[in-house]
Amino acid sequence: MDWKKFFIAFVAAFGFLFLFGFVWYGMLMHGAHQEVPTLLRAKPDFPWLILGHIVMAFFFTMLCVRFVPAGGPSGCAMLGIVVALIYAGADLITFAVQPLTTKILCGWIVGDLIQFAIAGAIIGAIYKSSSPATRYVPNS
Amino acid sequence: MKRFIIAFIAAYIFMFAWGWLLNGVLLKDVYAETPNLWRSQSEMMSLFHWIIIGQALLIFAFVAIYASGFAGGGVMAGIRLGVLLEVAAIGMRLAIYAIQPFPGKLIIYGSASGLIEMIIVGAIVGAIYKPTAVRAS
Repeated sequence: MDWKKFFIAFVAAFGFLFLFGFVWYGMLMHGAHQEVPTLLRAKPDFPWLILGHIVMAFFFTMLCVRFVPAGGPSGCAMLGIVVALIYAGADLITFAVQPLTTKILCGWIVGDLIQFAIAGAIIGAIYKSSSPATRYVPNS
Repeated sequence: MKRFIIAFIAAYIFMFAWGWLLNGVLLKDVYAETPNLWRSQSEMMSLFHWIIIGQALLIFAFVAIYASGFAGGGVMAGIRLGVLLEVAAIGMRLAIYAIQPFPGKLIIYGSASGLIEMIIVGAIVGAIYKPTAVRAS
C-alpha cells in the first residue's frame, strides 16, 4: 500500500464528506429537520461530528484501496454507490423506528448516494497505485 | 449466482434474528429511557416492512461488495470486509450522536453489537460464497 497516497486520499475524502454533510444535511435539509425538533440537539456536538467523519473517511478510503487498488475514479465511485446502499438500508430501518418524515428519509438516502459516489471518485482519482493489484483474488 | 443467493439468505436470517434479540429484547430497557426519540410500538409494527426491506438492502449490498472485490479470501476476507464496513458505520453513528440526543451508552452498545454482527455476517458470507475458480479447483 502507498501510504502517502492513502493519506492524501483520506484527507481529501474527509474534507469532501464534511463539507458535503454541512451543505446537504445542515443547510439544504435544515427545514426538513426542523419538522422533528425533538429528534435533534439544539446545537450539534462538533467534536463528535468531526471524529465521526474522520473515522468514516478513513475506513471508507481503506475499503476503496483494498477493493480496487488500481481501479481509478469510476471503480471507486461504483463501490461508493454500493456502500451508500448499506447506509440507505440503515436509513430505512431508522425510519421504521424513529418518527422521521418521508422527506427526511428521501433526503438522507439521496445524500448518501451522492456523497459516497463522489467521495469514492475522489479517492479513486488520488489513489492510483502503479503496483499490481492486491485485491483478494482466488488462488486457482 | 446460486451461492450469492444462499449467502444472502443465510446472512439475512442471522441479521434478522440478531436484530430482534438485540433491539427487541436485550436493549429494550435502554430504548425505554428515551421514549420521545422512538415511534410507538403500534407505529413500528405498521412500518415493520421497512425494517425487512432495509435489512435486505443492507445484506444485498454487503454480499455484492464481497462477491465483486473480496471473494476468494474465504471467511477471513468476509470478516475483514465486515470490520471495515462496520467501523466506517461507527463513524456515521458518532456523527448522528453529534446531532441527535441519544444516550451515550446506546451508541456504545450499538457499536459493539454492530461490530459483532458484521463479523458474523462476514464469516457467513465468506464461508458460503465461493467464486467459480475456487469451486472448480
